[in-house]
Order: sequence, then C-alpha cells, then structure tokens
Amino acid sequence: MENMSAAKRLLRSKLFSLAAVTAVVVLIFYLIRRSYLGVDNIRGILNSMSLSGTIGVGMACLLIGGGVDLAAGAEGCFGGVMVALLISKAGAPWPVALVAVILIGAAIGAFNAFLINVLNFMGFIATIGVSSMLQGIINIITKARNISISDRGFWSIGTVAVANLFTLPFMIMAALVVVYGIILSRTRFGRTVYMCGGNRRAARLSGLNPKKISTILYINCGALASLGGAILAARMHSGSPKAVLGSELDAITAAVLGGVSFMGGAGNMGGCFIGLLLLCSFNNGLISVKLASYWTIVAQGVLLIAALIADYFNVRARARELKAAGA
Amino acid sequence: MDTYLEFRGIGKSFPGVQALDDISFTVSGGRVCAILGENGAGKSTLLKILSGDIQPGAGGVYINGAEQRFTSPYQAIRSGISVIYQERQLIPAMNVMENIFLGDIPAGRAGFVDRAELRGRTQEIIDSFGLPIHPLELVGRLPVAYQQMVEIMKAYRRNSKIIAFDEPTASLTDSEISILFELIGKLRNDGKIVLYVSHRLSEIFQITDEIVVLKDGRFVKTLETRETDEQELITAMVGRDIGDTYSGLKRNDRYGETLLEVSHLETAAVHDISFELKSGEILGLSGLVGAGRTEVVRAIFGADAIISGEIKLEGKPVHFKKPGDAIAAGIALCPEDRKEQGLVLLRSIRDNITAPVLDKVRKGLFLDKKAEDEVAGDAIKKYSIKTPSSDKPVLELSGGNQQKVILGRWTSSKMVTKVLILDEPTKGIDVGTKAEVYRIVCDFARDGIGVIFISSELTEVINVADRIIVMRNGRITGEVRREEASEESVLALAMSE
Repeated sequence: MENMSAAKRLLRSKLFSLAAVTAVVVLIFYLIRRSYLGVDNIRGILNSMSLSGTIGVGMACLLIGGGVDLAAGAEGCFGGVMVALLISKAGAPWPVALVAVILIGAAIGAFNAFLINVLNFMGFIATIGVSSMLQGIINIITKARNISISDRGFWSIGTVAVANLFTLPFMIMAALVVVYGIILSRTRFGRTVYMCGGNRRAARLSGLNPKKISTILYINCGALASLGGAILAARMHSGSPKAVLGSELDAITAAVLGGVSFMGGAGNMGGCFIGLLLLCSFNNGLISVKLASYWTIVAQGVLLIAALIADYFNVRARARELKAAGA
Repeated sequence: MDTYLEFRGIGKSFPGVQALDDISFTVSGGRVCAILGENGAGKSTLLKILSGDIQPGAGGVYINGAEQRFTSPYQAIRSGISVIYQERQLIPAMNVMENIFLGDIPAGRAGFVDRAELRGRTQEIIDSFGLPIHPLELVGRLPVAYQQMVEIMKAYRRNSKIIAFDEPTASLTDSEISILFELIGKLRNDGKIVLYVSHRLSEIFQITDEIVVLKDGRFVKTLETRETDEQELITAMVGRDIGDTYSGLKRNDRYGETLLEVSHLETAAVHDISFELKSGEILGLSGLVGAGRTEVVRAIFGADAIISGEIKLEGKPVHFKKPGDAIAAGIALCPEDRKEQGLVLLRSIRDNITAPVLDKVRKGLFLDKKAEDEVAGDAIKKYSIKTPSSDKPVLELSGGNQQKVILGRWTSSKMVTKVLILDEPTKGIDVGTKAEVYRIVCDFARDGIGVIFISSELTEVINVADRIIVMRNGRITGEVRREEASEESVLALAMSE
C-alpha cells in the first residue's frame, strides 16, 4: 500500500472521483442538449458559482474549523440590501458602500462568535437564531421590496468579463478559493484551523487557542457572505430581501460534496471548488433540459445523499483495508 | 431454599487486555458481599456482565443453579438483577413514582396511566422504607442521596433478587450514608443478595458479611468480614510478583535545582496541594481513580481554573491562563485520554508533533514542510514509531505508537520542556511498549527534565517514580520514597480515612 504508484493514488483520491463524477454529469447534459456547453451557458454556470462560492469559501473554512454558520444566507441578504441602501438612499460612492458592507458582515460574524465562544451556545442553534433575526430586520427596513440601484459603476462588477466567459464575480470567487486554499494548506493559521476542528480539546492542550480560531472564522464567514450578497446585488441591479436566502445550504452542500467533514478537521479548497462546480453544473443542467423547478430541488437532495453514500462506502473500504493490514 | 448467585469461570478479554480470567464465586441470599480490588482489577467489568451490559467471553452467571444468558440489560432486569451505578439511571424530568415504575407503569384498559394506582403503590414502597419523599416530586430536584434511594426503591419494586451497588457512597454525606446503610440492611433482612463495590474499607467492615477480592482480573479469595482485618485485605489485593521489567532501568541519581513549587493549591476539585519537583526527578502521583490526580496537573498546566495558591517555576511565580502559556514556559502534559484529549486523530503524525512549535517551523508566512518533516522524523526515529511516513494519520497507529507521538511532540528538538507531566501514559498499551515507556521516562530524567508520573497501576508507580505522593478525595494523604515504598504502604495511604 505504501508503494502505491502515483497514478493509482490519483485514481483512489476523493478529488479525482469527484472530478470524474462532474465530468460524467456534464457529458450527460451535453448529450441531451448540445447548447449546454455553449459559451453562454458555460458563462451562466460559472456566474452561478460566484454566490454560493463566495459564501462557500467562508463556510468551508468554518466547517473545517469545527463550526457552522446557518445565518450565512441571511448575512448575504443583509449585505445585498445594505449595499443597495447605502448607494441609492445614502448616496455613498459604491467602493465605500462595498467596504462598509463587508465590515457589517464581519460585525454580524463577531456577534455569532460572541454567542458561541463567550456564551458557549451551540453554533448550529445560535446561528439559526441570528438568521431569523436578520431576516426580520431585512424585511422591516425594505418593507419586503427590492431596493434598486442605478449606479452604473457598481453594475460593472456584474458585467465585466474576460474572454466573454469568466465574469468578474466568478473571478473574485476563484481568487478567494486560491487565496484561502493557500492559507489553509500552507500557513500556521490554516494548520491551526485543521487541528482545532479535528479535536478542540487536544488542540487546546497542545497550546493552540480554539476559541480565537473559531472567532476569526465566524467573522470571516460573515464578511465573505456579505460580500457575496453585495456582488449579487451588483449583478441584479438591486438589493433583494430574499434572493440570497438558502444559499448557506448550497454552500454547505458544495463543501460536503467536496470532501469537507461536517465534524470538522478535514477537507480542502480544491475539493470545495469541484464540489461547487458539480452542484452548479448539475442545477444548470436540470434547468437547461427544462425539468420543472421543483424537481431541481429534489435532484439536489439526491446528489447530496448520493455523495454521502459514496463517502460511506469509501470509509468502509478504508477501514477494511486497515484491518487487513493489521494496523 | 435461599436464592444463590454463582459466577462460574467468567472470562472476558478486550483487545490487548484480559479484563477477567476464570472468576468463580458464589453469594447466597441475605448476605451483603463486597467486591474489592485495585483499579483495573475487573470489578466494573464483572458488574457489567451481571447487568447484561456486556457478555462474558467464557463461563456464565447462574442463579439457583440455572445459567443466565443476558444479551441486554433488559433481560438481566427481568431475571431479577438490578445494578445501581454511580451515574444514576433515572429520568430527572419525571417524578418519583414514574421513575420507580419506569417500564412497568400501571395503565387502564385504554392505555391511560392509572395515576391513583401508581401513586398508591409508590406510597406503599416509600412507607415501607420509611423515607420522607413525596411520590410527585421531580427526581431532578431531589438531593443526590435521595435519588439513590429512588434507585433502590426501583430495584425493590421490580422485586429484584440481586441488587449490586457500584461505589454508592462516592457522592454522599455521612448522614446520607447512614440512611443508605439502613436500606441495605433492610434488603439483607428481606433475603436479597447484595453486591457492594467500594474502595472504602471502613464501609466494607461496617456493612458487609463477606468480601471477594479480585486482582488483575483474577479471583484471589473470599474472606469473612468478621474474621479479617485491613492488613489482610490490602495484602490480598496487591499480592503479586514483580517482574524484572523495572530492574534494568537506568535511573537518574543526580537531581538539579528545584523546578516546580506548588503551594496550597486550591481548585474546585483539589484542596491544599503542596509539593516540589526537582530537575531530573520522577515524581509519582498515586491514588485511586477520582482522587484528584488529573485535576492537580490540569490546574498546573493552565487547563483548569485555580481558586487560590501559588505555583513557582524555577523560583518565579507563574500564572497560566491557558495551556498555551504553560507550554511557552516549558511545561508539557500528556493527558490521560490520548484519543479524546491528546491527539487530533484525523491529522498526520507530523501535524500532531509540530502543533505547539508551528512558529518555529515556518519561513515567513508559510510553514516549512521540510523543517516540519525533520522535527517529526526525529521523533519517529528516537521513539521507533512504527510508520512508513510522517504523513500517516495518527488514527491508523496502535495505542502505543500514538502515545509515542505525544511524547515526541513534547520532546522534539524545537521544544524546551522543563517539566513533563504524564497522566496514565501506559493505559491500554501492551507490556512491551510499557517497558519502552519506562525507559523513555528514565531517559527524560537523566536529561534533567522534571517528570510527574501519574499512574493507577501501583507496581508501575512505585518502581518508576523516585518519590510518590498519594492522594485521596482531592487531598494529599502522604508521601513515600521509592526505597521505602511498597504497594501496601501506598494503597493504605490511598484508602485511609
């Protein structure tokens, strides 16, 4: 087993099997409908990755570090609405509004971190509460209506594209994936995230500071979610009180598809990216073959459960292998 | 004819450990029988077999000569066995009568609970024990002692023939204990078989009729309580040959300066703890499970809050708010439960070894993989950890190798460890690796590290440590040097009242 060739190791790796599944999914949709791989549709897929991806980067780091933020969708929504209000109602220049909104997201993340690390509430429950609070506030300040943005400079975030294929929202997301990928795999902070997520008590007794790490990750997740919401507002030319809701579940789904453990301590950004690509090509494909939209929700659930089942068999096979090796 | 309970040739092994080996003895009705033994003698395993929680690997339990095969606690209860554990098996949010009749609540034809019947029958039981408890009281609101009474009444209601107690007095006050003993007396007069597991010798002499002594999973002897004394019991508990594992150890005979000074340390769990540790010294910390040994070292390490008292490291007072501070000052702890607290099992050997020294293995912003592999590789070589590479998740290592990864973490080339605390370092590892750990510990001492060595195995602690501090109920009860230490003397301190 130790002398496994590089090729064999690649074949065995989770990342490779995930990429293979993605390729098969894309191929099937292509065979059903040739326009699936047309430039316009590919751009659509990549663009659709930007929202759940931007939120997903923060979420994946948090999951690896042993936390979860179920308010991420509401945080994104709040970001979109706030950026629209700041530009349209307060007349702020859009770069200022964008920075302000990221800071607002960070502040909400800090509130989550306070509930979880100071008051010791469970992340799962605390963030459900925060999500509900935020959704209510959003509806009060917008009266449940979209807030339109007429600043063309801000629109350009959604329209600029390289080679008519890679839009700016996609590239921002891709850049975040790369930067956070490097932070996780190569820096001291990244290593600490894995150790604290893998076993909080052992990490603390090894001299690491799990509460500090968790706090940073919640703040980071809030900031990125808010950024994601603001970018969506730029694409839609308005801040919507509900467009981003539920995207925390897409972010979690993509991360788990990509091999992030819900228990913490395992996963990486490369996997998350492919997981996201799979999720978005799948959703887009279901729409492009004109499946009724309710069925896409069913199919998404099937995809996630299929990934969990595949993982279950993977883990069992590994356990058997270890037993056979007498370890 | 009286009921009698017989254990016949009971054996049970867990991976790497023979927990029970050919245990046979008989107890008859109307008798209170103590089961006595050191930590790890097999008392809990025996109770678990009796309660149907686990199944014996060999032999069986017989009641009145008929073999009982329990595949679940439910079956044991049906056969008239109630085991009352330290952690009470009650539902705190339900009231006394519901708890007593749990699993057998009287109901009318339509399935509705017959509350009047339930309450009447509960009151009868309470009256027969003469207790001041109300049937409608929530169990969670009762004092601990009364919760235990509810457990006993539950066993009584089930008409259990055999009632076993596991350390029942551990959390009771003196007056509560006397109520408990009255109840046990009543059970005896009713012809029940009472098994009583406790470390407290004085109680055993007060309440039991006979004493079964276990040792390393084997039956030693049964003694009549009236005909024996404390000395005979302790000898029976420890009597064994000491192998030559220890004679070959190269000990350190030259101590350096005083490293660690603890004075009047007080936490929620331990009281008035004072001791000193010199450089190059191995200080054993002994006592029964729950005596407060782990709590003492966790407080020193900054893992638990300190109420009062002073800790000095190399003469300077120190206040550690978190383990990271203690590590930075040169104190390291190998925790007692290595899977729960020692290691991040999913991560590699390298990640686990370099965790406390990440600052010293980086180049600028990034971690230096090469430097990390060097640090991990050193430990792998030094302690001959069996692994093809430092990339292997520690999950896939054996218990002994996992323990060596933790030792490697604290003694890597990048660490400056002055005081090394080992909490049960040989728990659950095989004999060969144990001997290796002893050698490593003596090496540490010769390198000038001050070692605090906690162990529940008496032979181990009196043979490895230079000096042994014995604790009981959160306090230090005595200190012995290795030359004058015997298992008897340490055990006497650990159990003394």
